[in-house]
Amino acid sequence: MTVAAEFQQVTQRFGDFTAVDAIDLTIPAGQLTTLLGPSGCGKTTSLRMLAGYSTPTSGRILIDGVDSTRTPPERRGLGMVFQSYALFPHLTVAENVGYGLKLRKMPAAERKRVVAETLDLVGLGHLAASRPRKLSGGQQQRVALARAIAIRPKLLLLDEPLSNLDARLRVHMRAELRRIQAETGLTVVLVTHDQDEALELSDQMVVMREGRILQQGAPVDVFPAPANRLVAEFLGYENFVTSADGTLRTVRPEHLNVVSEPTTAGLTLEGVVVDVAFRGVDRLVTVDADDGLGRTVRLTADVRDGAVTARPGDRILLSADQAHVVTLAG
Amino acid sequence: MSTRRPVAATLAVAGYVIMIVPILFVVATSFTGGSTLRFPPEGLSLRWFDAAVHHTPFITAMVSSLQLAALATVLALLLGIPATLAIHRGRLPGKGLVEGLFLSPLIVPELVVGLALFQQLMIGLRLDNFTVLLIGHTVLMLPYAVRVTGASLALADPFVEEAARGLGASPLRAFFTVTLPLLRPGIFSAALLSFVTSFNNVPLSLLLQSRDFRTLPVTMLDYVQQSYDPMVAATSTIILAGTVLVAVVAERTVGFARIFGGINR
Repeated sequence: MTVAAEFQQVTQRFGDFTAVDAIDLTIPAGQLTTLLGPSGCGKTTSLRMLAGYSTPTSGRILIDGVDSTRTPPERRGLGMVFQSYALFPHLTVAENVGYGLKLRKMPAAERKRVVAETLDLVGLGHLAASRPRKLSGGQQQRVALARAIAIRPKLLLLDEPLSNLDARLRVHMRAELRRIQAETGLTVVLVTHDQDEALELSDQMVVMREGRILQQGAPVDVFPAPANRLVAEFLGYENFVTSADGTLRTVRPEHLNVVSEPTTAGLTLEGVVVDVAFRGVDRLVTVDADDGLGRTVRLTADVRDGAVTARPGDRILLSADQAHVVTLAG
Repeated sequence: MSTRRPVAATLAVAGYVIMIVPILFVVATSFTGGSTLRFPPEGLSLRWFDAAVHHTPFITAMVSSLQLAALATVLALLLGIPATLAIHRGRLPGKGLVEGLFLSPLIVPELVVGLALFQQLMIGLRLDNFTVLLIGHTVLMLPYAVRVTGASLALADPFVEEAARGLGASPLRAFFTVTLPLLRPGIFSAALLSFVTSFNNVPLSLLLQSRDFRTLPVTMLDYVQQSYDPMVAATSTIILAGTVLVAVVAERTVGFARIFGGINR
């Protein structure tokens, strides 16, 4: 595996606040790495340090094996897409995309060709002469992407690139990002707070919280085996149950079933239905489990499943297969 | 509009009437054939325009006013733009205080500023009155330079400079290729407002006048106190025509919405 960039014990403090706390992280070349976490977890700060917009309080950042901790952004050769896109409003789309090439003194004819190619890659060839403010949010986002890609960056950095788009477009752009990454072979680092986005896009996902890395790995490895409760919660696990021996287990709402008799293997719970919400493809049932802790568990049930006729006030028995019960470290 | 919002419509019409009608009277009087400043004008003639453009004190004062306004505008922008950048983009401690300082000439009575300059600079340091007037007018314009250019900077995406840096631009290069073009409408409107403010200023110019250098409004004021003929009306009409011309050009090239909003959209 070729390493494109590396964080070595990187810390960033702003006054008394530690935004990033001694993280070690390796960004593999040619892959898409996502930094995932709630706001304030240090993901954007990490990306900005990688881009050179802020200098770590301590630690080193290596790009292509070279210590670049204090290299100014203009000498890093990275492409960044900002959450607000930060397009130059006084330039046309083509001039925006050509800005970095002009600074690299690329001859005009070649520049024109590269700009046209890059705009075609993001599907905006027909808007080359427009001003950014005439474009929709999704189009502006593609211009920002094209501008960053055009300079053939060592790394493509994306700060919440899809969060300003409406839901339908966001899902469409995920596929677009995957296609563009595959076509260009670029190393991509993407910051997001959306776990679905991270799961769908990542080769490697890095879950962060309070300036630390909680877990990292391929989505197929991280998702079924969250390292601890924080990661599990962030990935959408609910129904945390502490056993008599103190072990913490969790099961996702879609893996709890309504049963008529307790099962020996797996997890079994009994309780009173509090609420049933119809959600189109399924129903979300909220249950007060009677283990004395007043715990609320939730399950989803397929609407076509006639067996689920529970109403608020009914007592029901719930169970999950052992295969779906995840035991957490803490 | 008038049927749905009668109060607002009435006020708007009243506003226009109060602002425009007196000006129309002055314009009408300036074309009089008679020799007093009276309405309705007695006959139609361009004689007072002829007199105005041949009245040496007015011509000298007009040139003085234009020089002063142009120089003070340039100075105010040269001081105000870096101050705006420091306030909005820099890591300046006590930003609010600095901004307050630059805006304070809006609040401090001009007579106080004028008296202070008169005492300290003209009497104390024996500076000539053009220099002192230039300093005074520059100070008066600083709020416009800082506020109006600041408005266009505040509306711009704060990450555009970073984006330029990331694409390979040095800080200086990013400033000239991105920040400055974004500021351009703001600078244009600040310059226009500053120029007009200086050109129209009376209190400061009155206090700091001398026999060698006085501005047009002060000279006209002097004249009206001594002779009450329509030449002043003719001069006013000429200035009005000039101002309207500037306004039309500004509206055609940049647009008022942009100028007075200082907006780059």
